[in-house]
Amino acid sequence: MGLSYRLRLLIVLLSIVVLAGGALLFKNILIPDSFGIYGYYRADAISEAALVPIRHWTNISCFKCHPYEAKIHKNGHHQTISCEFCHGTYADHVENEKKIGTLPVKKEKEITTLCLKCHNTEIKARKEEVIKTIAMPNHLKDQNVKLTHNCNQCHHVHAPLKYIIRAKQITRMMEAGS
Amino acid sequence: MNRRSFVKKVLNGSIAGSLYLVWPMGSGSLEILEQIPEQIPGIRDKEYDILNQEFAFIVDITRCIGCGSCCVADKREYNVPDGNFRTWVERYVKGFSDKIYVDSPNGGLQGYQHPRTDIEEKIRDTFFVPKLCNMCKEAPCVQVCPVGATFTSPDGFVLVDEKRCVGCAYCIQACPYSVRFIHPDKKTVEKCTWCYQRVRKGLLPACVEVCPTGARKFGSMKDETSEVYKILKGPGVLTVLKKEMGTFPALYYKGARREVI
Repeated sequence: MGLSYRLRLLIVLLSIVVLAGGALLFKNILIPDSFGIYGYYRADAISEAALVPIRHWTNISCFKCHPYEAKIHKNGHHQTISCEFCHGTYADHVENEKKIGTLPVKKEKEITTLCLKCHNTEIKARKEEVIKTIAMPNHLKDQNVKLTHNCNQCHHVHAPLKYIIRAKQITRMMEAGS
Repeated sequence: MNRRSFVKKVLNGSIAGSLYLVWPMGSGSLEILEQIPEQIPGIRDKEYDILNQEFAFIVDITRCIGCGSCCVADKREYNVPDGNFRTWVERYVKGFSDKIYVDSPNGGLQGYQHPRTDIEEKIRDTFFVPKLCNMCKEAPCVQVCPVGATFTSPDGFVLVDEKRCVGCAYCIQACPYSVRFIHPDKKTVEKCTWCYQRVRKGLLPACVEVCPTGARKFGSMKDETSEVYKILKGPGVLTVLKKEMGTFPALYYKGARREVI
């Protein structure tokens, strides 16, 4: 090999520069911009997570366009229930302040099923101070109504005692002990 | 084109252009946001200081009635595919022999409408336990992620970077609470985020928002008037799940029996 000492040194140095430069370039391409700002991850992922669209809003958003239901709902025992639980999400109904779809309203037997999701005494885990529960069909028998009755034939779904309190006012009936 | 029409067009253009910049484009959601009072005080009125935040989640087992509102809200908020759950509700039944029976039909999505009929012994106690991400301060899932896709953000949320996740499912094995799953379409990992996008807008997580009995509570620990701060400061007994794992969860349970795991 007739290479001079200087040329060999140059080749060694050049290859180091090329390899190191290539590695640095590769590293820059492969590692995302915001990687490592807070830790071993892409910091931009945090702001991306904060931009996920919201689909559930609050009862206040619903009440704005539904004042009639709002008045009943806010004064009843069901005021803590979210509109969106029974009717579906705000995002399926309104987009950019325009109505884009109709949300379903529960009917007949669906209502009874929905009520019993929470109000069934048979599930022994429901405390009296948290929720009033009833057993079916005993409750219908006790109230002397047909066994085919749905809950909403006596109870307003938004304010369950609305009609019952009113009926008692009209008939001046008082429950024993009250 | 004469000078008059030229000046007219330039003026029109500049007016239209400036309007375009000022007009809130596609910010319908922002306007809805303004109508709703802030549910987590101290988030909206100033710039979000990510390094100086702490949040806590408290599940009050004594108030959970197993209605499934939280599961329904969660499924709808994120269009969670059937069979996967970001949050779910378990029913614990305790017999007089101290035997524990746990079930969670469809994650509690349909609520609990029927009592269990397959238990022969006399039942001592029944209660519901909602489960969700524990937001561990020492998260095992973060430690094992080989690509840095799962991380604990400076404000204490364990999040998943969808763009970096390779779907190796190592974190699913590592999570002691089984809150992670692979999204069948995206093939990346998904998990409960305590609705990070809602919290950043000053709203409560969807499951807390819909809970009718107040069994789920969420709030900032930097706000001394928040309900969670008061509960955590108070003398009541709070427990975390699998304490012996050393994960230091930010999710606390109130009224959890020792059998709850």
